[in-house]
Amino acid sequence: MDVPHLSPLHTLHLENEAKFIEFAGWTMPFSYSGTLKEHDLVRNNVGYFDVSHMGRLQINNKSMDTLNNLICSDIKNLNPGKALYSIFTNVEGCALDDVIFWKFEDYILLICNAVNASKISDHLNSQKVEFENITKDTALIAVQGPNALKTLENLLTIPVSFSCLSDDVFTYARTGYTGEDGLEIMVDLKNLNILIDFLNKHEIQPCGLGARDTLRLEASLPLYGFELSEEISPVEASLKWTITNKDSYMGSKSINRQLSSGQHKFLKKFTIDSRNIARTGTKVKAGKVDGVVTSGNYSPILSKAIGFALFDSEPDTDLLEFEIRGNFIEGKIIRKRFLS
Amino acid sequence: MTEKKYLETHEWYLLSDNVITIGISDYAQGELGDIVFVTLPEVGQEFSKGDSMVEVEATKTVAEAYAPMDCVITEVNAALDSEPEMINTDPCGEGWMVKAEVKNLDDSGMLYQEYESFIS
Repeated sequence: MDVPHLSPLHTLHLENEAKFIEFAGWTMPFSYSGTLKEHDLVRNNVGYFDVSHMGRLQINNKSMDTLNNLICSDIKNLNPGKALYSIFTNVEGCALDDVIFWKFEDYILLICNAVNASKISDHLNSQKVEFENITKDTALIAVQGPNALKTLENLLTIPVSFSCLSDDVFTYARTGYTGEDGLEIMVDLKNLNILIDFLNKHEIQPCGLGARDTLRLEASLPLYGFELSEEISPVEASLKWTITNKDSYMGSKSINRQLSSGQHKFLKKFTIDSRNIARTGTKVKAGKVDGVVTSGNYSPILSKAIGFALFDSEPDTDLLEFEIRGNFIEGKIIRKRFLS
Repeated sequence: MTEKKYLETHEWYLLSDNVITIGISDYAQGELGDIVFVTLPEVGQEFSKGDSMVEVEATKTVAEAYAPMDCVITEVNAALDSEPEMINTDPCGEGWMVKAEVKNLDDSGMLYQEYESFIS
């Protein structure tokens, strides 16, 4: 077995007594003070996540047209200084990865899931997209929470939402994966101590991947490998809003067919009122329509179990029946966001 | 005075006058992460050794606590309904789960020292 990669912040995580997990070939912090405490910290104050395991590829702007042919969003006409969430699709229109782009005047930074980093590198190479993999030369830290920006403005010029900036030391964007405001900040390893000293000075607490997962679920954000995969399209994952690419792109025929026919799977949000969590893989029925839970956990905001389930077709009822360890448990489809 | 005994499935029990108090170990709560729901049995419910008595839902995963011996529930820790996190903060004290009358004594659990080497 390959030795797992260590984050450039690993020593700091050890000092902070992190509990670690192996994730996508990396040893990363799962929690420090506890997932729910860290969740509350980010919802009500501020916390930081080390997300240095995520792939960072710097794409030459000369490859813009080629890149545009591989994703379901229009990055060609995106203004420099803007961030974009999009999806690399395969010929079937399903997701190779969901990613964030930060577009600058002379390059695009692509941030991809750690689990897909090699796949996306290979994909770009095969399509002759020019890029440099800078994952190991940099760290990536997400500072998130309602108090994130008023702290960070002591260090950085704050961009407007979904915009990116770069100075001599930091490359960053007002993006995140928690449903809270904040910045995701990339820094060269030689300057990492500047960011760490700032976080320590302002007593911003570290949070682990456990809280990152409960936060993203509560914010109704998909996770690759669960809500998106090489068998699930952005149409099916309720991500139609990402489909802004008007040109022909890899998988566009399949995606357009799904959009016009409505013949596809449907991802739905759900809640459960009883003391049960329907976890990944749990079978669920909406009337006669079969589904399976893609992610499920506890929502601290709602004090109940929430999750996503993928149904074979559009359910005609919101009432759900989960099969949990031999018992039938009721739940319901939720149309609005979990977070108010 | 009797001592707490531990099972390979990470429950502890404390035997006193034919009544056992049952909970899960500190190691178990640590592995589960934040506990958010606990489903307790009813008073009067009978269990055979190895039956699932309690269901514990945590942010990381779900777990069950099993009967250490044949017994009948005499009391449940109803405070866990509103404060399941007591199992995280005090698994061997305030976070106890059930008390039960022993029907068939089987005091074969491990003493802490043995359990400690079992989990390490």
